[in-house]
Amino acid sequence: MFKKEERTILTRRSKGEKIVFGIVFALFTIYALSLLLPFVFLAFNSLKGGEEYVDGVGAGRSFFPPAHAIWSNYFNAFKALKITDFNGKQIGFLQMLFNSIWYTVLYVGAGVIASSITAYIVAKYRFRGRRFIDGIAIFSMTIPIIGTTASALKMYNLLGIYNTPLLPIMIGFAGFGFNFLVLRGFFSNLPWSYAESVFVDGGGHMTVFLKIMMPQAVPCLVTLFIMAFIGTWNDYQTLLLYMPSFPTLSSGLYLVERSLTRHVYDYPIYFAALMISVVPIIVLFGLFSDVIMSNFTVGGLKG
Amino acid sequence: MLALPLVQWLIFWLGINLDFIKLAFLDVRTDAFTFSNFVTFWDELTSPYGSIKIALINTLKYFATTMLIINPLSLVIAYFIYKKIRGYKIFRIVFYLPAIISSVVMVESFRQIIRPEGIVDAFLHLFGGAIPPVGWLGSPDYATSAILFYTVWTGFGVNMLLFMGAMVRVPTEILEASKLDGCSALREFFVMIIPMIVPTIATLVVVSCTNVISTTGPILLFTNGDYNTATISFWIFEKIYGGGVSGGLSSNYNIVSCTGLCFTLVSLPIILLVRYLMDKVPAVEY
Repeated sequence: MFKKEERTILTRRSKGEKIVFGIVFALFTIYALSLLLPFVFLAFNSLKGGEEYVDGVGAGRSFFPPAHAIWSNYFNAFKALKITDFNGKQIGFLQMLFNSIWYTVLYVGAGVIASSITAYIVAKYRFRGRRFIDGIAIFSMTIPIIGTTASALKMYNLLGIYNTPLLPIMIGFAGFGFNFLVLRGFFSNLPWSYAESVFVDGGGHMTVFLKIMMPQAVPCLVTLFIMAFIGTWNDYQTLLLYMPSFPTLSSGLYLVERSLTRHVYDYPIYFAALMISVVPIIVLFGLFSDVIMSNFTVGGLKG
Repeated sequence: MLALPLVQWLIFWLGINLDFIKLAFLDVRTDAFTFSNFVTFWDELTSPYGSIKIALINTLKYFATTMLIINPLSLVIAYFIYKKIRGYKIFRIVFYLPAIISSVVMVESFRQIIRPEGIVDAFLHLFGGAIPPVGWLGSPDYATSAILFYTVWTGFGVNMLLFMGAMVRVPTEILEASKLDGCSALREFFVMIIPMIVPTIATLVVVSCTNVISTTGPILLFTNGDYNTATISFWIFEKIYGGGVSGGLSSNYNIVSCTGLCFTLVSLPIILLVRYLMDKVPAVEY
């Protein structure tokens, strides 16, 4: 028989440590189960009828499985779930899903492109003002400036990008944030000798950047893209403030929830919609969890 | 090529921030230079039931929870997973779930779990306790504590992952050598691991300071700021977005900018001090 885990001196534990690990294991299990509870709740209640759900809440049966699974709730989430925006236009679930996709891809894509440019240049070139740019990045990331919402709103209106698809591209194209920090660390560790051999063969700086450096950064870029994708997909406040005509699954479903106090029997359909909205994230995370877990590191703030 | 991101920064960071400072000094109606916003701010801050005062107290509560509970616990959790506790692969993914699942989903479920007649209430009945009929979220005495508990419950994911990433890079030869010399797990954690990952700890402490001050968390989803649950950043969001009693009006822009400016000026030295102290901790080179 082969042992599943290679036992080294590092995994050997004394008797006292074994007891501690046992207790922690028990605590971890309880905590993990508590984190799974929301999914049990959603799965059960998204399959209930409206009346069954409402009665269940009153009788303390929210965490009981449905008497008969009503799968049509999921079709109804696609068909019947609607919100009305301030122009009186109806926006359905599919439209929200579509908004989520393009908004997230534009915002995150712009961010990853911008920060790879800035991080690469700051990491690899010596020029006047380099320290200054480095300082800007750290400064704008760690200084919490709050209350700029009003000015931001004014600025977006002035530029004419408020409530338009240009907004995620323009505000997403930020080169000096968390992504910058991670990528700068990554690029400074790449040897410059590759670039020199390209120069000898007559290649330019763009060739080095696009053909030599960027391909090596792919695992890092994928990690950053997915982390930012998840964050943006779940963001509802930016959308509520600056993109009111384009509700995504997050901001849209929040608005649906607000209207549900008047239609309590629609809750199961809303739960079904929540379940559907989680699927893309779970799939994405499932596919890339190994890449994320092994590439997601951050060092110090000092340059 | 650097020009594009720089222009973006000039417009969307510098431009917005300069305008923000200007707005704080302008009169709501006449756009003339004034200090009246600061007077209004001071009144709201110092009067016993002022909305800014409540928001400030709540922000401090979130700050303490993050620094004293969430960050240290993430470090400990990361260590046990790094030490390959039984089932660590599953724990690693489950503990990270709250960070990737939309808070709209998590909040809705949490609300159902702690509602009166819910699963926690049933559990409390076993010990003769009960949730007040309005629910914890519907009572000014408990609402903020309930939301704080939620932030702890869902708060470990990202930091845990980053701490683990740092621990994995600690050279195992050193740990093996110390183990041969009879170093216990407790000592290993405090004397070996923590000093080796100080740069990561410092970064995360500073970033989480910033996050506590500048993000609104799940308050909108839980209570919409009612029952004395608003924080400073939520108060700002509400004044601009609406939903509250006096929200969503452009006449709020000046007082919001002014309040933001005051709190930025107060929190700036605190963050810089934290960063300075963190830099003072000697980092081990390896």
